[in-house]
Amino acid sequence: MTTQASRQASRQASTHGTRVSTRRLVHIYRSEGHEVAALSGVDLDVAPGEMIGLLGPSGAGKSTLLSLLAGVFKPSAGKVHVGGIELSAATPRQLDEMRAKDVALMLQGASRNLLPYYTPYENVRFAQGAARKAGKDLPEPEEVLAGVGLDVDAHTPLATLTPGHRQLAALAVAMASRPGLLLADEPTSQLDHAARDRVLASIADANRELGTTVVIVTHDPDVAAFLPRTVTIRDGRVGGEGRSGEEYAVVTPDGFLPLPLHVREDLLPGTLVRFHRTEDDAEGSYVLIAEENVDE
Amino acid sequence: MRLRYRPFQAVAIATLAALITACAAFAPLYDRAMRQALTDISIARTPASVAGLQMTGTTQLGGFTFATHNDTDPPTPEVVAAKLPEDLRDAYADPVLGYSALVISEPGRSSDPRGQLIWRAGQCEHVTMVEGSCPDATGEIAISEADVENFGLGVGDTVRVAGIPRDLARRTVVPSVPLVVTGIYEQQRDDYWFGLNLTGLSGAVDSTPPPHVQHDIWLTERGTFDSSEVPPLPSQASTVGYPLDPAAVGVDDVLALGSEIEHLKDDARRDPANGVSVEVYSGLPDIADEIREQTEQSRVTVPLLMAQLGLLAVVVLWLVLLAVTEQRRPEVALARLRGRGRQGARRLLLGELLPVTLAGVVPGVLLAVGGVALARTSVLPGEAPFELGVPLLAAVGLAAAVLTAVTVLAVLRVSREPVETLLRRVPPRPAGFALGVAEALVIAGAGSVVVLFATGGLDGPIALAAPGLLAIVVGMVLAHLTTPTAAIAGRRMLRNGKVRAGVSFLDAARSPATRRIVAIVTLASALAVFSADALLVGDRNRASASEQGAGAALVVDVVGPDLAAVRTALTEVDPDGERVTPVVRLVPPGKDASGTLAVVPSQFQHVALFPGGAPDPALWERIAVPDAQPIELTGSSLAVDIDDATLRSERLDGEPHPVQLGLEVVNERGETLQVLLGELDGPADHTHVEVPVGCREGCYVTGVWLRTLPGATIDGSATFRNLVGLSDTGTEPVALGPAYLWAGLDDPVDGTVSPSSEDPEQLTIEVHGEGASQLTMSQVWLPGTVPALVAGELPPGSDDNGFSLVNIDGEVSDAARVATLERVPASPPDTAVVNLDLVERGSAITSSAVIELWFAEDDEALLAEVTEALDRQGVDVSGTTTLAGVRQEYDESTAAWSLQLAALIGAAALVIALLVLVVSAASSWRFRTRDLAALRMSGVPSRSIGAMAVAAQLPAVVVGVVAGAVAGLVGAHLALPIVPLFAEAPEVSTLDLGTAWVGVVVATVGALVVLGLGSVLIGRALARRSDIRRLRETL
Repeated sequence: MTTQASRQASRQASTHGTRVSTRRLVHIYRSEGHEVAALSGVDLDVAPGEMIGLLGPSGAGKSTLLSLLAGVFKPSAGKVHVGGIELSAATPRQLDEMRAKDVALMLQGASRNLLPYYTPYENVRFAQGAARKAGKDLPEPEEVLAGVGLDVDAHTPLATLTPGHRQLAALAVAMASRPGLLLADEPTSQLDHAARDRVLASIADANRELGTTVVIVTHDPDVAAFLPRTVTIRDGRVGGEGRSGEEYAVVTPDGFLPLPLHVREDLLPGTLVRFHRTEDDAEGSYVLIAEENVDE
Repeated sequence: MRLRYRPFQAVAIATLAALITACAAFAPLYDRAMRQALTDISIARTPASVAGLQMTGTTQLGGFTFATHNDTDPPTPEVVAAKLPEDLRDAYADPVLGYSALVISEPGRSSDPRGQLIWRAGQCEHVTMVEGSCPDATGEIAISEADVENFGLGVGDTVRVAGIPRDLARRTVVPSVPLVVTGIYEQQRDDYWFGLNLTGLSGAVDSTPPPHVQHDIWLTERGTFDSSEVPPLPSQASTVGYPLDPAAVGVDDVLALGSEIEHLKDDARRDPANGVSVEVYSGLPDIADEIREQTEQSRVTVPLLMAQLGLLAVVVLWLVLLAVTEQRRPEVALARLRGRGRQGARRLLLGELLPVTLAGVVPGVLLAVGGVALARTSVLPGEAPFELGVPLLAAVGLAAAVLTAVTVLAVLRVSREPVETLLRRVPPRPAGFALGVAEALVIAGAGSVVVLFATGGLDGPIALAAPGLLAIVVGMVLAHLTTPTAAIAGRRMLRNGKVRAGVSFLDAARSPATRRIVAIVTLASALAVFSADALLVGDRNRASASEQGAGAALVVDVVGPDLAAVRTALTEVDPDGERVTPVVRLVPPGKDASGTLAVVPSQFQHVALFPGGAPDPALWERIAVPDAQPIELTGSSLAVDIDDATLRSERLDGEPHPVQLGLEVVNERGETLQVLLGELDGPADHTHVEVPVGCREGCYVTGVWLRTLPGATIDGSATFRNLVGLSDTGTEPVALGPAYLWAGLDDPVDGTVSPSSEDPEQLTIEVHGEGASQLTMSQVWLPGTVPALVAGELPPGSDDNGFSLVNIDGEVSDAARVATLERVPASPPDTAVVNLDLVERGSAITSSAVIELWFAEDDEALLAEVTEALDRQGVDVSGTTTLAGVRQEYDESTAAWSLQLAALIGAAALVIALLVLVVSAASSWRFRTRDLAALRMSGVPSRSIGAMAVAAQLPAVVVGVVAGAVAGLVGAHLALPIVPLFAEAPEVSTLDLGTAWVGVVVATVGALVVLGLGSVLIGRALARRSDIRRLRETL
């Protein structure tokens, strides 16, 4: 395939990002005889071609949510829609096909995404195998690697690559099948700033040029700042959203409103809060008025 | 690429696969090689006359053979030779055709020699003509040198022998056949003659009626038998000898030939069409039976032994593949995440592992072929061609199928795991003691079989599997107990501040390899210990059986019963009897009769071999010669005075009857002579007697006897004085007394004869006889009741310790069992050992006795010396038996070869266990070095890290070796009573199944050294690689 034809295939393979939505998503782990709720009713919508970050403290359920979106786990309750598939009801074959063509999960740590005995080129080719078999027209591995700036090292043994290049190779592998959805778990951890920026730029390129929907789990505030939309998961719920630098609290389907962390410091438990609708706005706005506890 | 990334794993897997293939391929190859070796040595050991095929053809019409004066000629040798079917002839060399007949020298008196006349094609090349020429014309003969000497025949002489009239009805005169002596031959002893001795009969008398003197076999030309000018000869027959061609006969041919010769014997016996009868003789059917019997053993033992090793290798391969596939879980997870599904994951793993596994097949076959080639040169005798047959292909196919199945199963196990499980760094594993269903089934199954062995519910060569099965049970249970125990111990050590040991134990408890190592090391060590024990026990028992069978390092049979000559010869060579001793063996006919072995105890106890330990030297004192001197008499006659005789004999009718009085003497040839001194009609004060006696060369006076009419009584006394031997040279006085030199007779039926008198010059006897038979009082020098050391039971009808045995004179003697021997060397059960010096007294050795010379050492120079000395005494040696030869016969059996294979298996099992250690380390070294690096990062000194790396595996190895040694010992205890140690059990059992502790200790220490050292080296290697850089993510 010529480079031009390959690029055409690349564009054809990436015309649509994949829509993601979850409804009242619950996931419970069983650990040492105890049940632990990792997610307790998560509602999330990600539009096709959107790039979002999942933020939150350790153990909040970010990675679990990512795994549920990749179909690695089946949710304990609730629905997960990825493209046209409701994952909790998907058959193994459907899941395999989805992973082959539409959804790429990039695990934390570059080495977990790469076959150690293959070169970057071979890894990409391996990752494309199932999609090609399913009839998906894909670009050549060289082009995929060129997309992340790794075409020079296409045939370099992995062990001799820098960590940043390895992570780029992992990204290339994830993008090898031109998925509609890229799920990346901490893609920049353990990288220096330059490498981190390069990885993020490559992800952004994929999102922009190929229309791939991107969901990134990160702890890194710099990475979060880079993303147009962030969703904070806290205690297994969506605890807030950030859009264009503005942070919002999100009302849960059952009517709860998790307070942002900095508000929590002011509103101690037991504080009475009253909502007042202002009249000066035509659409109507609410003002939150904290009053002292009636018991005190 | 993938192989290059993990080359060590690939080599380990391929090595195991090669071992499995080698086990499968080795069994049929080794079994085949054993059978070939057995065939080779069986044929080689068998004389050509027995292994070959001999046919004798006669014509038989109306129930009469040619020998009974039928005038029909026998079939020609060519006709007889043609009786052997074409398809069997490839097994034989060209036949040797011949004729034979009985010739009776005229006029046919008993002094006219008769014997065989033969012709054999090519005979002149197999005799040396001492004089004259080999016969080449009808009517010519060659005779032996002995015939020249015995019958005065010579070259040019004519011997006339009786022929048979062709027409009995018309001719009543027996035709005479002139045979002209043209040469004197000396036979060349070679296989051409099929064991036929041409000489050795000349001058011997054949007592078959009518008694006649025999000549050696005469050789003649073919025309003497089939020329029309010569009348037929009595008992004329055609002979054909087919020498077996060992190079053309393989094991299958022998087995087939054995059956076909049996058919041929029946078919060829009678040809109803023309009355030709062919007698067929061949020992091949017996050889075939022996081979078949032994191969029945090997057919079970070899595959069973190899199956154990193969099973061990399969289990190890399974465990290694599990470890390897477990290590590849992240890769499988990746394949699944990239949408390849379970099938794709399977293909990924199989694409890597199956070629590696199958790559071991060809080296495995080569290993097996090389191993068998080595065994053929170093263990197995014979030079049979190497055969790679269909069984090998089947075995290799089976090995390939097993390898594929094991690989696919191991791959399936991982590829079926859900993605979420595959993504976990450490797979979920049950904590504490948990037994999988499959493991429980294996333990229960193997345990049940072991219990069946222990309770005697199973028998046969399958017992060889007992140690392996027991080790599986012990190993698996122990493996499951080890990890929780190590965890508990580790935690306790940590609590007590023993950080280094605690961490090591916890590391061992955490590692899945620990269970594998314990189980496999237990099994391998058990096999090694059992193999070593079985090998040495087998070796010891074959050595014991050889010693028992041979009797001494070298045993020589001599011809004839001339014991005096033999002893003279031995005295010349070895006066002290320290190196060689005479033994006289008497084996009476009949199943219940006890054999007798007459020995010189002082020599025999040092020369003979006593497997299991020599008897107490004090025992030999119990058959010592009594301390009594003989009474010697020399002369051609003797004179004696009989004084104060009051002897009276009274018949039943009350009338007196003379009493006959005599002496019993034994001459130098051992012949007993009854010397009648005279008759006493009644009391007499003095009677002087002088009678002739054949004692010129000296005699022993061994008895005084009295007799009268049967039924008549004898009473009274008499005194013998002045006994002298008279000869040309003068007189020689003989002292008959005092009384203690004589053993009085006290028989409740016959009566009593009591000696008295203190004076050595005289002997007084008091007599009371009932007249039942002759009363004889023996001299104490002559053995009365023979003291004997007896092995086994006394013959039926024996009274307490009293029994009867056959003495060296062939007569039955009273004997007393004075002690018991566990076994008598080179003798069947129930053999009595007597003192040769004692039983020789007063006895001439019977011709049925066999005189043997037992040598302390297998010393050819001494043998030559003794043979020369015997030759000077006119005694020939007829055969020799060596301990080494007997041992070789025991060693060259499928039972022995199978046990040698067991040793190889023990060693191979240790190598496999070592491989497990290496593979376990190789498949987990990245994780383990990272853990050790973390400890290094925490400030743990390098030395401690090295010790911890070693301690994580070494205790499991030590536990496994110790448990394996115990399992191997117990397994040997269960299995060895059933394992065939001999092709055929020896007549006298010397079985000793006691543990061969040397072997057990060597095997255990060997296992500890090999596996322990391996474990230490592996631990150190891991510690060396645990650089802090390992903490960084590595590929």
